[in-house]
Amino acid sequence: MNIRYWLHLYFVLIRSSIRSGMQYKMNFLLGMLLAAGIQIAEFLMIAIVLNKFGAVKGWSLYEVGYLFAVMTLSKALYRSFANDVHHLENYLTSGDLDQLLTRPVPVLLALMSQNFRMMPGELLQGGFILTWALHGMMQAGQITWIAVPFTFLVIFTGAVILFAIGLTTATAGFWLTRINELQTLTEDASQTAVRYPLVLYPVWLRSILLVVIPVGFVNYVPSLFILRGELGAWVLLGIVLVAAVCLFASMKLWTFGMSRYQSTGS
Amino acid sequence: MGIMTEAVVRTELERSADKDRPQPMIEARGLHKQFKTPVVKEGSFAGIRTLFTREYRVKEAVKDISFTINQGDFIGYIGPNGAGKSTTIKMLTGILHPSSGEVRIAGVDPHRHRRRVVSRLGVVFGQRSQLWWDLPVKDSYEILAHMYKVGDKERDLRLGQLSELLGLGEFWTTPVRKLSLGQRMRADIAASMLHDPDVLFMDEPTIGLDVTAKRSIRDFLKTLNTEFGKTILLTTHDMDDIEQLCERVMVINHGQLSYDGTIDELREKIGLPTTIRVTFAGAWSIPLPPGEILRLPLEVRLPTGEAFRVVETGPDYVRVEANRQQIRAVDILREMSAWGEAADIHTEEPAFEDVIHKVY
Amino acid sequence: MLYFSLASKAYARNLQYRGAHMLHNVASALFGYLYACIWIGIGQDRPLGEYGVHGMIGYIAFTQASLWISGFTTNGLGIPQSVRTGQISLDLMRPVHLFVHLMCREWGQIAYQFVYKSVPIYLLYVLVFSLSLPQQVTTLLLALAGLAAAAYLSICMNYIIGATALWTTESSWLYWMNHALINLLAGFFIPVEWLPRWLQTVSWLSPYPYLLYVPTRIYLGFEDASRLLGSLVWCVLMTLACLGVTAVVRRKVEVQGG
Repeated sequence: MNIRYWLHLYFVLIRSSIRSGMQYKMNFLLGMLLAAGIQIAEFLMIAIVLNKFGAVKGWSLYEVGYLFAVMTLSKALYRSFANDVHHLENYLTSGDLDQLLTRPVPVLLALMSQNFRMMPGELLQGGFILTWALHGMMQAGQITWIAVPFTFLVIFTGAVILFAIGLTTATAGFWLTRINELQTLTEDASQTAVRYPLVLYPVWLRSILLVVIPVGFVNYVPSLFILRGELGAWVLLGIVLVAAVCLFASMKLWTFGMSRYQSTGS
Repeated sequence: MGIMTEAVVRTELERSADKDRPQPMIEARGLHKQFKTPVVKEGSFAGIRTLFTREYRVKEAVKDISFTINQGDFIGYIGPNGAGKSTTIKMLTGILHPSSGEVRIAGVDPHRHRRRVVSRLGVVFGQRSQLWWDLPVKDSYEILAHMYKVGDKERDLRLGQLSELLGLGEFWTTPVRKLSLGQRMRADIAASMLHDPDVLFMDEPTIGLDVTAKRSIRDFLKTLNTEFGKTILLTTHDMDDIEQLCERVMVINHGQLSYDGTIDELREKIGLPTTIRVTFAGAWSIPLPPGEILRLPLEVRLPTGEAFRVVETGPDYVRVEANRQQIRAVDILREMSAWGEAADIHTEEPAFEDVIHKVY
Repeated sequence: MLYFSLASKAYARNLQYRGAHMLHNVASALFGYLYACIWIGIGQDRPLGEYGVHGMIGYIAFTQASLWISGFTTNGLGIPQSVRTGQISLDLMRPVHLFVHLMCREWGQIAYQFVYKSVPIYLLYVLVFSLSLPQQVTTLLLALAGLAAAAYLSICMNYIIGATALWTTESSWLYWMNHALINLLAGFFIPVEWLPRWLQTVSWLSPYPYLLYVPTRIYLGFEDASRLLGSLVWCVLMTLACLGVTAVVRRKVEVQGG
């Protein structure tokens, strides 16, 4: 199994998904705009508040917008490629996971290639808020153009971290079968929490969001350096390391979970 | 899996191919599978308590099953629900690890080399599709061809053949979710053949189909076996499928193999009676001892000691049952011809379903 | 009696999941906790209107708990699903008016959610933030009346959203749009009086403030019973709308067969 094989496979899958999604162009466009609009409403909530009250604990509206956008884009990247990992519960209850075991590829990759989910609304919303935030901060002289490539790196590592968290939660499904509630905690709640700067939360919550469920490394920690020049450039290297470690650990757990599944059959 | 292991596996296959005796395609030796299910608690917080319980109930789904299937065989694998059928199939395909025992598919262990084994297997689950639900059928084939490392030219050639045999052209660009059951089944079977596997596992491939669709699927499977030499293991509840397609059948019940042999031998073994119906022209009567009235079922004993039973009489016919192993049809008819002038004779073998019912 | 039995069946159906729901409550309460933290952060060195930090926390606590009454109503009251399966024609044939039928079912659901979600979640907030409960019983009763009206309005809105499923397969969009509007205009995170002027006007032209903002304000003691008049007016208007919609739906099904 080499990279070229997988890239080509994904290319075929993505192209098919886009083709079938684009079949009804009007529907597709409308859906995209509506999705983007609905998502922006969440950001508007905090935007209105910050607009009225100014910064919150030293974080300006642009900075909060940056946190929002990076999280949205990382999540969109993760869910586009690994949507069916998030929905592992369906596979476990229907027994469809067995089918994937009849394919000559590692189960995880078979699972991921089941579905490529296009998320144009999220990409539009995230892209829009990100552009707006970066532009605003560049105008104010807070950041320079270098922030842009850094941000792309961070979005990518963020997606990897979110993937690792999602994979670990899904792996719990091998023992618990029903993981929807757990996912609300480890994915929905934590992702919502880090859309706002971690300084708002008490220390215990901050620690959880950094050590237990490392979502803090998706957008908050990198932004400390990229937007505020705190900590130093080594942070970016650190983030890459964190992402790699999380990925490695989650995959090991997944393999362990799979072998249990193959022994107990459920 | 490293290069070393691959080399070892390959020489193993080559070595076995050098032997005089052809290597069996599928081999199961002493397969056991036990499931530990937690004892479900009752009362408050039942869910949580069950999760943390240490009490387990052990269920033996498969007990000491062994069999050998050779290349080109067409085997039926049947048994009542809960007998351990799907558990066995899962162990053969590498989905499930056996508690003990060994499996070899073309000499390779599917539990240690799942991907290698599976690349030479074709699997069809009748109840669910392996195709991509929202995508057109041709896209699924494109993705699968890539997954199984089937080159473009080879893929197109094979799809051309399959398309002719299965009539795929009519729904080539239709999304899978819009296909009828019969179409979906054909599409799935074609998908399982895309990488030209040597072994096919078919699980309920004709379920829910109408008579015409069933026939075309059966014809296709027959062709695969007789013309292309594919080894096929068929699991089904449809006894007509088994009768028409398989020479050999394995019956599993309560986790054990209760029969492994040909269909004819099974019929003989079970010994369900054959029914013969003789229609008489004109008057007829069954000779009875003086003073006795006709009471059914009536056993008629020949001077040679063999017997058959009269089970039903009508205005112009008599129906009898006999075990063909114990008495010849020709002797029965000779006896009955003394009762009247036979105008028509109709023989019925026991329904295969009834035979199987007895085995279960 | 029939209506009550429809509601109680919906209520009973949920009981088997209450263990899982209790667990889910912790997760739900967490969201409110996050929002409370944000307001604490904002209120660090500025006055927060007539609420103050403590008042804002109380505001968030009550609105979060109330979501389970007026914010998380069944998508389209189940109509889109029943259109897909064809059940809708059967439902329309019944001797019970479709709106009443679906409304009773939803009341049962809301009652369950009130008991097993709203109340536990609110009590959790009271515990964590040491919130004070209203002094007078009348305040509580008026707030509950406001919540009842809010639940009813939400039922009506979802009925109309659900009805659109007969014309389009994309009624989910309307549901999510409705949700987004609730987030923005109902006082979900921001009290309506702090919205930009133009947005405030838009909000008060709609029934949205009556879903969360008005009951919360009454509960916190900032409004009196006169606000409920607005709730009443909207209830009447929405009822008329729903009855009208039912007539249109009935005509469509009769003509087109659903």
